[in-house]
Amino acid sequence: MTVEELITLLPLTVVSGQSKLGHEITGGYVSDLLSNVMGQACAGNVWVTMQGHQNIVAVASLTGLAAVIIAGGVKLDKDAAGKAESEEIVILSTLLSSFEITGRLYQLGIAGK
Amino acid sequence: MMRRFVADLHVHTLLSPCAAVEMTPRNIVWQAVDHKIDIIAITDHNACDNVPAALEAAKGTTVTVLLGMEVESREEVHLLVLFDKMRQMKEWELFTKAHMSGRLNDAARFGAQFIVDADDNFIAEKNELLLSSLTAGVAEISAQVKRLGGICIASHIDRPVYSIISQLGFIPPDVELAAVEVSRHMNAQDASVRIPAIGDLPVITASDAHVMEDFINGPKTAFYLEQPTVGEIRQALLSQNLRRVVV
Repeated sequence: MTVEELITLLPLTVVSGQSKLGHEITGGYVSDLLSNVMGQACAGNVWVTMQGHQNIVAVASLTGLAAVIIAGGVKLDKDAAGKAESEEIVILSTLLSSFEITGRLYQLGIAGK
Repeated sequence: MMRRFVADLHVHTLLSPCAAVEMTPRNIVWQAVDHKIDIIAITDHNACDNVPAALEAAKGTTVTVLLGMEVESREEVHLLVLFDKMRQMKEWELFTKAHMSGRLNDAARFGAQFIVDADDNFIAEKNELLLSSLTAGVAEISAQVKRLGGICIASHIDRPVYSIISQLGFIPPDVELAAVEVSRHMNAQDASVRIPAIGDLPVITASDAHVMEDFINGPKTAFYLEQPTVGEIRQALLSQNLRRVVV
């Protein structure tokens, strides 16, 4: 499934990276500890977090993630939006909690790997 | 004249819900005198109500008390903030109050938060939940501390929780740090090799004491200064004007 298909199926809003929605999703990961994500998430994953700090952009870029989903209605920090846009990182937001959005991702066949 | 000061820049009093009741400002100062600790910073979680008692208790002793706080940012990063003047600390307290979660402490679950005077008399119990994150992020906090003339040190960056590196993966360039602190679990001299994210930042160590034994036996940092002030510690961290830090 691509990121573009995903956003038609779930209540997700595109915050940045509109031009990169064609990426195929390989799996998913959930954590708010960025050092943990750098070590554990795989390229092509969607990552669910409640962090809105600009470092999520760098972590997504470093790890080669397909998209970052910011859950729980948390807003991306001011400086981060511009950085995400210039680095073409797909950031999505949802009002659903991390638990709920992860459950729905799993139901759609996106597993942890 | 320059002299060596032994400093513990991270000490909790009984205002911190996780600290023992023995950690009264008076006890801490007395133990500091006995164990030749020259400088202590009182750094309770998101509050500074026991700093005045520590300043009072230290009057006429060999111990200098620095005005401090351990702040928790929105990203759950712990930062030590230190000031020289009560006026700056009061301004800083207003900032933290404006960014508190608004939740109340449950003493049975988290521990009690006691405010005392310099003679160990009970003054009040603090109601706000101190073990909680502020609504301000790390960069905003560090910018505000700088504006007020204080310094920011990232707490226990070797720990898997509440550290700028555990929470954010690496130290963002827009966070104004005077130094990073490593806990008693890491040798400060090895820190920049074992944690490359430290980069060129100076490293200190401190006890992060919540009980007296840790305060007495925990790690300290030595500074060569003329006066035991935050301003001179800042210079020492930058190796300026013959001031320096020894870990």
